Amino acid sequence: MAASMCRTLRIFNQPAGPGLKCVASLLEVQLAQPVVIPVRTKKRYFIPPSVSIKSRSLEEQEAAVRAAGVVARQQYIERPINISCTAGIVDPYIPPEGDARLSTLSKEGLKQRTEQLRQSAASQLAFRKIKDHDSEFSSKGFAVKAQEIFIEAHAALTEFNKEKLHSLVTERCYPEMVRGNRYKTLHWRFIESLEPPRVVHARCPDMVSKGNMYGQVTVRMHSRQTLAIYDRFGRLMLGDEEEPRDVLEYLVMERHLINPYGCWRLHGKIVPAWAPPKDPIIKTVMIPGPKLKPEEEFESLNYEVPNPEAVQWHK
Amino acid sequence: DIYQIIHYSFCIWTIRNLRKCKKCQILAPCSQGSCLHTTAQLNTKNWDRKNRIVYPPQQKDEPPRPAEVFHCRRQIKYSKDKMWYLAKLIKGMSIDQALAQLEFSDKKGAIAIKEVLLEAQEMAVKNHNVEFKSNLYVAESFSGKGKYLKRIRYHGRGMFGIMDKVHCHYFVKLVEGTPPVVVQKTPFDQAKEYVEQLRSRTIIHSL
Repeated sequence: MAASMCRTLRIFNQPAGPGLKCVASLLEVQLAQPVVIPVRTKKRYFIPPSVSIKSRSLEEQEAAVRAAGVVARQQYIERPINISCTAGIVDPYIPPEGDARLSTLSKEGLKQRTEQLRQSAASQLAFRKIKDHDSEFSSKGFAVKAQEIFIEAHAALTEFNKEKLHSLVTERCYPEMVRGNRYKTLHWRFIESLEPPRVVHARCPDMVSKGNMYGQVTVRMHSRQTLAIYDRFGRLMLGDEEEPRDVLEYLVMERHLINPYGCWRLHGKIVPAWAPPKDPIIKTVMIPGPKLKPEEEFESLNYEVPNPEAVQWHK
Repeated sequence: DIYQIIHYSFCIWTIRNLRKCKKCQILAPCSQGSCLHTTAQLNTKNWDRKNRIVYPPQQKDEPPRPAEVFHCRRQIKYSKDKMWYLAKLIKGMSIDQALAQLEFSDKKGAIAIKEVLLEAQEMAVKNHNVEFKSNLYVAESFSGKGKYLKRIRYHGRGMFGIMDKVHCHYFVKLVEGTPPVVVQKTPFDQAKEYVEQLRSRTIIHSL
């Protein structure tokens, strides 16, 4: 058994001569006592094989494992695929700029209205395809149903009722709604709808094979809502319990048309590029800054915090 | 009765597996459902579960509840008694002071505890809505015994001893806010209190 290094270190750490600050100067300065450094002399009879081996590359390691006769089980690289909903929004609706900002009575407002009323040809085609599969579909009644589904889904999210939420919301939308909310309390209230909801856009994409049709319909709704998010300890993180906000939203509802038991569920939301920025959260957050060299100072760098681009994205 | 059947078959199963169910031995067997075991497995990893409790939202007039973060590390290769010294050292300190002390401590356990504290600090900021990472202090910190491995230690004359390869767990609770000031009680204060206690005694059945 080797003696511990303490005895060796004690010799070096002795405050022996004047000006003895580091070990290197030990060699130059004459010490008071003769230096006796304990050294390991006993021969090791058993040296484990891993000591002599240098680092192996991946192929050498595999060859050694194969030579030893160890068989690794076949790795199944599988990923589950969900076929009851699509993975995104096909051909997303681009909301016109200034939507809900201009009053309907002004000239620009009327022009916007006429443009919006004249649906594009692809949407009309999509409506016809949807009516082939679902006979009860009507673009007027559907918007009201969509708003009801939206309200029910958010009420279920407030109570974290998983089963109800899965029936009202597609599998693609569910993780986006629920992520990060497990240990938080949400208080959400739908106060009133400012404008009647309208269907603005529709598409019928085919997934993988030709007949496998899904219907995606975009509904525009302008409403007043209240949201307050509390963290794990009951402290307010975002929003206000009593302050209602006017919200303009573009919801995308989806249904698997081929499936006779399919139902219309919330698939996502479209956030336009001109949407106003969201409120910041109540607490202060640290953003990682640039890496400084030892001689630089942060104030002299004139560093600007990068803002994200104003691009339309769908959630 | 269904409970009797379940219990009877359970007892047979245990006897066959050479394990005695303690409740059976103590109480009278096959009484009406009183011997039924409810917990089959003993789950002792309670410290990790403390991070999952959700408090209801507070009213505006209530003082804000300080955030609490629980973290632990299991099976650290160190003795629980030696770890206790480090745990006692940082108990009650602010997190920056605790990290500084551990960084310059010579003990082996200090490295593990420092990693645990840094992980807990990051968790607090990311997941538990703690605003400032320096605004935390160590409220509770203690070590517990982990599972020991047993080895043989050879002595002379063919004698041997069982050597325990010791492991320990380390638990820490960080709370948001400034560390509470602990008032040191001087012996003079204690003596004063004792005298006051003696003076405040009432003598009954006296004039």
